[in-house]
Amino acid sequence: MKFSLHWIEEFLDAPPGEDRSRALLDQAGLPVESVEPGKPGGTGPVFDVEITPNRPDAMSHRGLAREIAALSGTPLATPSRELAPPDASGEAVESLASVVIQVPRLCRRFGALLVRGVSAAAPAPERVRARLSAIGSHPISAPVDATNYALWSLGQPLHAFDFDTLRGGMLLVRKARRGETLVTLDGVERRLDAADVVVADAERAVSLAGVMGGLETAVTAATRNVLLEGAWWDPVSIRKTARRHGMHTDASHRFERGADVAAIPEALHLATHLILESAGGTLAPGLLDVRGLPFRIRKTSLRLSRLRLLAGDPRLTLDFAADALARLGFSVERRPRRVMVEIPLGRHDIRLEDDLVEEVLRVYGYDRLPSRLPPTTIPGRHLEPRRLVEEGLTDAAVGAGLYETVGYPFVNPAEEEPYEPWIRTSGGSDSLRIANPLDETRRCLRRTLIPELLDAAGGNARRGRREAALFEVGRAFGREDGDPEDPPSLESRRFGFVLSGEARAHWSETARSRPFDFYDAKGLVERLVEPWIAAEDLQWSAAAMPGFAEGACASVETVAGPLGIVGLVAAAERQRRSLPDASFAAEIWVDRIPTRPRDEAFATWSAFPPIEADLSFAHGPELTWRELREAIRAEGLAHLDALRVADRWEGPGVPDGRKKTTVRLTFRSGERTLSQEEVNGERDRLAAALKSRFGVEF
Amino acid sequence: MDNGDAVARVLEAFREASERGVSSRGEFESLKGRFLGREKGLVPGLFGGLRDLPASERADFGARANAAKREIEDAIAAMAEEVSRRESEALARASSVDITLPGRRVRAGAFHPLTLVRRRVEEIFLRMGYSTADGPELENDFHNFEALNFPPEHPARDAQDTFFVDRPAKSPLLLRTHTSPVQVRAMRKHGAPLRILAPGRVYRKDEVDATHSPVFHQVEALVIDRGISMADLKGTVEVFLAELFGPNTHARFIPTFFPFVEPGADIHMTCVFCEGSGCAKCKRSGWIEIMGAGAVHPKVLAAADIDPEEFTGFAFGGGIDRFALLLYGFPDLRLLFEGDERFLSQYSARILGDRS
Repeated sequence: MKFSLHWIEEFLDAPPGEDRSRALLDQAGLPVESVEPGKPGGTGPVFDVEITPNRPDAMSHRGLAREIAALSGTPLATPSRELAPPDASGEAVESLASVVIQVPRLCRRFGALLVRGVSAAAPAPERVRARLSAIGSHPISAPVDATNYALWSLGQPLHAFDFDTLRGGMLLVRKARRGETLVTLDGVERRLDAADVVVADAERAVSLAGVMGGLETAVTAATRNVLLEGAWWDPVSIRKTARRHGMHTDASHRFERGADVAAIPEALHLATHLILESAGGTLAPGLLDVRGLPFRIRKTSLRLSRLRLLAGDPRLTLDFAADALARLGFSVERRPRRVMVEIPLGRHDIRLEDDLVEEVLRVYGYDRLPSRLPPTTIPGRHLEPRRLVEEGLTDAAVGAGLYETVGYPFVNPAEEEPYEPWIRTSGGSDSLRIANPLDETRRCLRRTLIPELLDAAGGNARRGRREAALFEVGRAFGREDGDPEDPPSLESRRFGFVLSGEARAHWSETARSRPFDFYDAKGLVERLVEPWIAAEDLQWSAAAMPGFAEGACASVETVAGPLGIVGLVAAAERQRRSLPDASFAAEIWVDRIPTRPRDEAFATWSAFPPIEADLSFAHGPELTWRELREAIRAEGLAHLDALRVADRWEGPGVPDGRKKTTVRLTFRSGERTLSQEEVNGERDRLAAALKSRFGVEF
Repeated sequence: MDNGDAVARVLEAFREASERGVSSRGEFESLKGRFLGREKGLVPGLFGGLRDLPASERADFGARANAAKREIEDAIAAMAEEVSRRESEALARASSVDITLPGRRVRAGAFHPLTLVRRRVEEIFLRMGYSTADGPELENDFHNFEALNFPPEHPARDAQDTFFVDRPAKSPLLLRTHTSPVQVRAMRKHGAPLRILAPGRVYRKDEVDATHSPVFHQVEALVIDRGISMADLKGTVEVFLAELFGPNTHARFIPTFFPFVEPGADIHMTCVFCEGSGCAKCKRSGWIEIMGAGAVHPKVLAAADIDPEEFTGFAFGGGIDRFALLLYGFPDLRLLFEGDERFLSQYSARILGDRS
């Protein structure tokens, strides 16, 4: 919000100058964002001041001057005679016009003055037009500029009616009628809501109260008689009306935040002086001053103990506090250990004792407060243990060479459809929709991280990267068992990754590169969850869904239920993102990982040497490693310590349609060194069993 | 047989053999065996006939044989040394490498810069005894606004353009606009005293550009205890900023308004670009706005059943994205969210080191 320094200084007895004023406004919490230097012979520097919504009282030149005076300890100037009632003559306003308030809670005060016989086409005085221009408000005509000038001077919005267009010579403050319409000053016809407050004449609405006047009753060049309105409107009602009609005006901005009911007569007087000065005319004697519900004078107190406690500064005294509050316009009564204050009507932000602490500290200066570290009275810990799981997954993924990404959770639900079976398996519900999205095509919240990761990988592929290995830790939204009254129950924690293109090659390898394969992705899942779940406790099963290639997708479960999905990305999903053929995606449902790491107890080992024995055989393609492994375990070979697949081969040397598997058996005893003969015996026993059970050939 | 000739013959044979030289350890060993071998060596053979010589010749023969033995032994020792030297030279030739070729490195992954910064912030606070806490990104009006002293229809809500979720609930569902609802949840669950750090993702309905994103990240510190003051806030903020941005970072506190604190403050810190001397980035002021802060509002404490007469507190928070932007100097916030390898790879095998 822009303010002219010269205009501010008009309200100050001893203006402290540009730099000091700027520093004082910063200290007051009204920071000057930038300064436009004054032009020679012009109106002086213009401050762009950031004013928080709690300080409508500071949204005027007088408001800022009050702060500068209070913080610098200098007095405000004696009020200008322009704020006093102008000379009046002729018929009294009461006999010419009348005001009735039907909504006393929403309009607490309505003041009006009538200026007759003006030349409304005349321009406002030069100093007024120059100042308005300097702060970016375009001069229009004497009556309109007068109201704007009063607004920026004192913070009280005014409205000027062409009195002769008001039917019945009266103003009625009421709720809009059903179906009532009003063409506002901006030329837009507004269909009014029954909750909107309007100013009406005897027949129709003539102003959307506190927001914008009506076009038909506005002051024009032909206007002879001007009725000025200065009123106080209920903030919540103004805010709802402005929002309903998509409007935001200088007036609504202030009324929404709370205007100062005491400023109404001064603002009306100031505007009238300016009209009389430039457009001529005479003021009808008297102020129409109609009251709604009265304001209660609010009182509160400030204890010295509370001030010192919150400030952390024992140097603060009650004398200082009393003086600071008085300078800010509070009526102060000094008691032994506290001050009692009456709060000025314009300070809607002050309600509690702690608000007064801030007022005193603004005057004192936050920078004068001491600084120290609070004593530690409780030990620190991780209040959400699953964050440690997320951190562990992140560390492992980075250790495995992946890059971490962060994505937006706004999706087009069609993108998630190919992964619907997994979303459902992992507890997801229908998509949650954003009521007011930024982008209509992405109006749902994501339920899986996979599509976004594929998009990111695709972006890198289109930029010519031969590989992408990316992961994200994030939340997905919408859960079948979620309760809308308990927001955390609508979220799940997920970890997703994509491996796409070529596994990174080294110059020394004979093959320049190799594509990622299913086992890279599966192995990464096993490795990631290993701190909490041993690989042998993972149950893998074939899965099928449109988002993954047929026959190359697996779901993984623990005893607690579904944990994750991994697979080759389906051709359609790859192609539309320009992803290479070897693109694998996976997601882990992090909430299903136990927060306690696996057993950390020490386990001893055998001191005797192991003996290895390999067994190679050909078999049909339908025989899986899991079946073989379970059959071998079921054999109960004596002293079998470890079992792994050493090789799986199909091609030259193996009959067409057959596969060759080499199994490596490791035997070891805890009590003695085994002999080669007994190991061979066990191996041969297994060979015979596999032959009779599966028909394998050695 | 002339015994004197026997010594000369052995010496002659040895000089002949050593002139031919040896090309391998095997040849050397056989030469050494031929002359010095204990059973059949020519040199020990000379001494074998000594007993059969007449006593008059024994002394002379013995002396000459001993001289020959010394000569041969010395020459063979020198030859052994030479063979070893040649061997190790050959070995070195065989295993020599071009040490300038690249090593076979394990793939280096990359933490996202937001993770690097968040972890650094967490580490600073964990050292000061804070606990980490988090909460849902999908929140409701109660936790995001009401319990934080945002009255319904208050203009303060405008500053936080909110995404609402289209699902009926008693307290309207929304995407949290700040991490402050974590304060509310932590206070209600754990009570006072409390000392937490809450990092997390937040959402505001901002159009995407170089400095705005509808998704960003905040971190918020909250301390509630007996006797906590604005002075504790100032000290903690000063320590934090100096730890994160470097020891010459200073903080300035300016009154401001947030509904959930009273008194409230905006924190400005020494401009990281000009170190406070004034530049275009800080509008020549030497300061940049970095965080919001204040004493916890008594209504916020009361809403969490904490007695504001017994306990007071402070809270402050800032944007992790902005911290990252200031620490790393990248030009556009959008880079954080695009998964672009050209950006992410710059953080490959990186940690955010201590700047103090």
